[in-house]
Amino acid sequence: MNVDEFVKAFGERFPEAEIRVSENKQPHPKRRVWVEIDREKFHDAMKFVKELDPKAQFSIIIGMDAGDRLLAKYHLEMFWEEGGSLSLVIGTSVPKDDPKLPTVTDIFPSALPYERENQEFLGLFFEGIPDPRRLFLPDDFPEGIYPLRLDETGIKPEMVKNAGHPYRMGGEKK
Amino acid sequence: MRIPPTLSAVLSNLFKKPATNPFPASDPVPTPEGFRGKLNYDVEKCVGCRLCVMVCPAGVIEYVPEVRKVTFWLGRCVFCQQCVDVCPVKALEMSDEFLLATDDKYNDNLRWFKEDEIEELKKKLEEQKKAKGAESQKK
Repeated sequence: MNVDEFVKAFGERFPEAEIRVSENKQPHPKRRVWVEIDREKFHDAMKFVKELDPKAQFSIIIGMDAGDRLLAKYHLEMFWEEGGSLSLVIGTSVPKDDPKLPTVTDIFPSALPYERENQEFLGLFFEGIPDPRRLFLPDDFPEGIYPLRLDETGIKPEMVKNAGHPYRMGGEKK
Repeated sequence: MRIPPTLSAVLSNLFKKPATNPFPASDPVPTPEGFRGKLNYDVEKCVGCRLCVMVCPAGVIEYVPEVRKVTFWLGRCVFCQQCVDVCPVKALEMSDEFLLATDDKYNDNLRWFKEDEIEELKKKLEEQKKAKGAESQKK
C-alpha cells in the first residue's frame, strides 16, 4: 500500500481526520503522512492502522506542551516488508485540565515505555495503562511536577542548579 | 584435551615485541594535524563581539563588560572548536597541548584572562581615558 492508497483508505474510514502529506526533497526524497484526529476517535484509528498492516512498526510517542493543550504524535513505520516503507505520524491533542488519552498498549504493546515517559515528563495520562510506574525520574522526585511542561507545573527555577563559572563566583565574593 | 584455536597465535605473539607506548618513559603518541588540544586566547586581538559566548555549548566563556573581553574556564571545555571557528579576529586557536590533569579545577592553567589581569586592564583603560581627557582639556 503506497501513500495515496493509505490516505484514501484512512480518509474513507475517518472522514473527520485532517490528513496531510509532506514531502522532503533532500537528501532522501520521502513522503510522510500526517494525521490529526480527535482523542475520541484516536483509539479506533490506531486499531484501524493495525488492521491495515498487522506488522506496523511503532516507533515513538512525542508529547509536547502547546499552551492550553498537550499534543501527542505517534510515529509509525508501515508496510516496511514491501520495500519503501510508509511513514505515518498520527497526532492527537488533549486539553490541559483533562489530560487523558486512551492507551494503545492493547494494540501496540511496545508503546508502554513511551506512555510511561509521557506520564512522568508531561503529565499526559493514559487510561488503562497496564504499568503506570515512573520510568526515568528518580523515586524522590516531587509529585505534581512535570519537567517538560512550560507552565507552572514545570521545573521551578530553584530546582535548576549550575556549578558556576569561577569568574562569576569571584564576582560574588567581592 | 582439545587444543585451543588461539594457541598458534599466542605462541607466535610470545616472540614479538610488545606494541605498547611506555608513556612516562617515552613521548606520548604524536598528535595528528588539526588536533584539538588546550584552547589559546589572545587578549590583545579580542574585540569583545561575544560570538564565542553564544556558540559555546559548555559555558566555558564569560563576558566581562567593563573591559569588553571574555574570560575562560577550561575546566568545562569540551574541545569542540566552535569558538575558534566563529572568532572573526582569530584571537582563539587550538594548541597541541593535552596533558591538562590537575588537582584543582580552578587551576591557573585552566583559566584565560583571570581576575587580576582584568583589574590590570581596567586600570590601564582608566589611565588612557584620563590622559585623553587631559589632552582634550589642554586644547
